[in-house]
Amino acid sequence: MKITLNVNGKLHDIDIDPGEYLLDVLRRIGYKSVRRSCNSASCGTCTVLLNGKPILSCSTFAASVDGQSIETVEGMSDGEKLHPIQEAILEEGGAQCGYCIPGLIMTGEALLRENIDPSDEEIKLALNGNICRCTGYEPQNRAIKKAAQVMRGELDE
Amino acid sequence: MLSNVNEYFRPKTVEEAYELMQNDRDHSIFLSGGTIVALMESSRIEKIIDLKSLRLDTISVTEGEIVVGATTTIESFRKDPVIRKEFDDFFYDAFSLVGSWQIRNMATIGGSVAPKLGWSDVSTCLLTTGSSLMIYGVDGYQRMLVSDYFALPTGEKPLITHIMLKRDGWVSAFEKFSKTTFDIATVNVGLSIIPERNRIKVARVVCGSRPQYPARFESVETAMVDLEINDVMPAIVRSLVYESFTGGSNMTASFEYRKHLASVLAQRAAEKVKEMIT
Repeated sequence: MKITLNVNGKLHDIDIDPGEYLLDVLRRIGYKSVRRSCNSASCGTCTVLLNGKPILSCSTFAASVDGQSIETVEGMSDGEKLHPIQEAILEEGGAQCGYCIPGLIMTGEALLRENIDPSDEEIKLALNGNICRCTGYEPQNRAIKKAAQVMRGELDE
Repeated sequence: MLSNVNEYFRPKTVEEAYELMQNDRDHSIFLSGGTIVALMESSRIEKIIDLKSLRLDTISVTEGEIVVGATTTIESFRKDPVIRKEFDDFFYDAFSLVGSWQIRNMATIGGSVAPKLGWSDVSTCLLTTGSSLMIYGVDGYQRMLVSDYFALPTGEKPLITHIMLKRDGWVSAFEKFSKTTFDIATVNVGLSIIPERNRIKVARVVCGSRPQYPARFESVETAMVDLEINDVMPAIVRSLVYESFTGGSNMTASFEYRKHLASVLAQRAAEKVKEMIT
């Protein structure tokens, strides 16, 4: 069957299998930041934004999001210039192996769009579906806090 | 990928969706949020009937009750201003414990009740608030309590279209124990009371993930009637739940462990309710 996806503002007409997951389709058309890990809706690594809300692409049927808007980490940076969340993740040591980071950044982005000044508790709650086996989470929580400060104009980039 | 799926339907009406299911019940499945269907890895499924196309994702107030479309996501429901205000953040707080943010953006209220999952926090909370369902089945539309839906024969596959809620003076609290912050419940407990002159006029006590379907503990509810709402009340509720607990063992927890957990969670829920009233 044919579907249309708007990925990071770019329209894609795609032939898919009716039982195919969004994760596989996105990777097939070149969005390799979307990664498979647990494949059971448990780890958050495959997180993308669907109409601005974080969802798990490993357990979303591609056919169910026909015509809708998807955002991945490929759409975050502006050429060579990284998004404030990406920059803060680097500065705070929030990425080690880096495998979970695209999903985490998308969840962080959704949080900051909804709440530009989140408390520590709100950050922890928002990110609790993004499992990281390297960092122990504190650097990532700090990074989201720092990115929020930059995005509010309280801290220089 | 569900490799045997060869047809994907987007019905426009409830009747059409139900008819599609009846055409091939053995190989068809309703898709709502998708969090359960996508993980089934079943070779049996050949036809997906996507209920999102029915646009049953609105929340409205009609004739004194709140009517929630079955495909409303858990996150939209818990953050809805009407739901937050009417239930004093009961659902807002309770559903923050359901899965992760991502899962709550996908999973729907109707889709959480429909498969009759023992561990569903959503089902426990809907039972705690005395909610009803509108279903469409062989006899057309029918309204029934969530508990009656659970009692339907397994072979019946009616379609849940709406959930109806009414607060009616109940004060509710929910507690859950799970291995990790967004794991399914080892045990969950919901408790509601209507207070009258600092005593319990009537109570609802629901326990889920026993591991059977969430169920009301009616003997506990009867024993709670006329209890004074004071510092001792939560401990009494704890003892009552401990004595009356019915459930079983599975790989997650033993019967004995669940019995202890449920009684402690009931005490905590009773403490919350007491704080809200006094």
